[in-house]
Amino acid sequence: MQNFGSNNDLDEKGHVMTDQPKIKVKFEPKPKPSKCPICTIEFYQQFFNIEQRDVYMRVRCSILSWKPEFHECVGKNSDLWGPLWISTTIIFILFAGGNLSRFLLEEDKRHFKYEYNYMYVAVFLVYAMAFIIPIILGVIIKYILKSELGVFDIVCMYGYSLSVYIFVLILCIIPYNEAQWFFLMCGLANSTIFLLVNLRDFMKKNKQTLLIAVPIITFNVALILCFKFYFFRLIYAVDD
Amino acid sequence: MDYTNQKQPQNYSQMEDLKTLDLEESVSETIMRDLRMIAYKLKYVLIPKEQEDNGKELRNWDLWGPLIFCLALAMTLSFKADSTTSSSKSDVFAIIFVLIWVGAFVVTLNAQLLGGKVSFFQSVCLLGYCVFPINIEALIIAFIGSYLPFVVKLIPVIICFAWSAYSSVGFMASLVPPHKKKLAVYPVFLFYLFLSWFSLIV
Repeated sequence: MQNFGSNNDLDEKGHVMTDQPKIKVKFEPKPKPSKCPICTIEFYQQFFNIEQRDVYMRVRCSILSWKPEFHECVGKNSDLWGPLWISTTIIFILFAGGNLSRFLLEEDKRHFKYEYNYMYVAVFLVYAMAFIIPIILGVIIKYILKSELGVFDIVCMYGYSLSVYIFVLILCIIPYNEAQWFFLMCGLANSTIFLLVNLRDFMKKNKQTLLIAVPIITFNVALILCFKFYFFRLIYAVDD
Repeated sequence: MDYTNQKQPQNYSQMEDLKTLDLEESVSETIMRDLRMIAYKLKYVLIPKEQEDNGKELRNWDLWGPLIFCLALAMTLSFKADSTTSSSKSDVFAIIFVLIWVGAFVVTLNAQLLGGKVSFFQSVCLLGYCVFPINIEALIIAFIGSYLPFVVKLIPVIICFAWSAYSSVGFMASLVPPHKKKLAVYPVFLFYLFLSWFSLIV
């Protein structure tokens, strides 16, 4: 004997349909009309059009900072993957490494207190350096100083300039003052030279464009001072 | 007369279909069924042998599982956090909670931007379920961590981190084109590294 439902039709799964329609809620993104093109995912997809090999080459260009090869590496294909994940890695290293450095110095290791504020400060500091400052500088360079470089090109360059700090900050975990200053100075030199060398063509135009070197150097110096005096400050016990 | 054709659920999607029909069952039965659903998904996600149909089961995503594991992890770690200052308990809870949800969001967004065709919530669901091994490791360290030397504590941390990362990497890597796999996988690795680090140090 066959069982018949009140409606003999079968739905796509082969179940016999009943009178009650099954209500399923599905989230399907509808394409929005682009009143705000910068707000859509499609706009940002053009900045993720790179492969793993490209990222490796760009990081290599950044670490060998004295060679002005970055623009050749990038071409027209600026990316945001590098700046985003390099800065997030640096945040992790600052948080973990900063606390680890203090832990190594601490005499009473059982009662070591972790400083969670490092997380908030690291997020603010690194994302400001990797995104907010380059966006401001990029807007100035593109719209006021009339360069061919776009805002996102500058963001990409700044992001990759931070890649040397991944290695520098890991080395800064060593709790010796002189060693930390040495590594931070190397990182500062590398990062600043990278930015200046790759903006050299733009800066040679006239005296106004040369002045862009001033905020670049200032912000980089401020960054390593923040690293040293907040995350890797060494408090020595004073023997009287 | 009621001629509805009710079969026993053969798989999870049929179980879901029946769920929409039963509105008069007791609360405990509903909760038990939800818990069984979470356990089923957990086994599916974390034990690679269960995945014979290439992740199709994940289309029935839910966020209850991820929420439960996120809360469990945040509460375990904040319970264990240093109690001399009251702010560090709430700091830890807030950081873990935000880290898991914002982290899952950003990792999924990254995969989508790299060209992966995946439903947003499906991916967040998977990443949330893969937090379960980190939960186990946090519980182990919370209860017996103070009696163990640091090197011995590292062993469960590394095992659980590898387990989480391995479970989710397969899925994430399958979403994007071949030359971009490492770009999609590295954020997942960083995400679980962050969480494992927290469970180690607290």
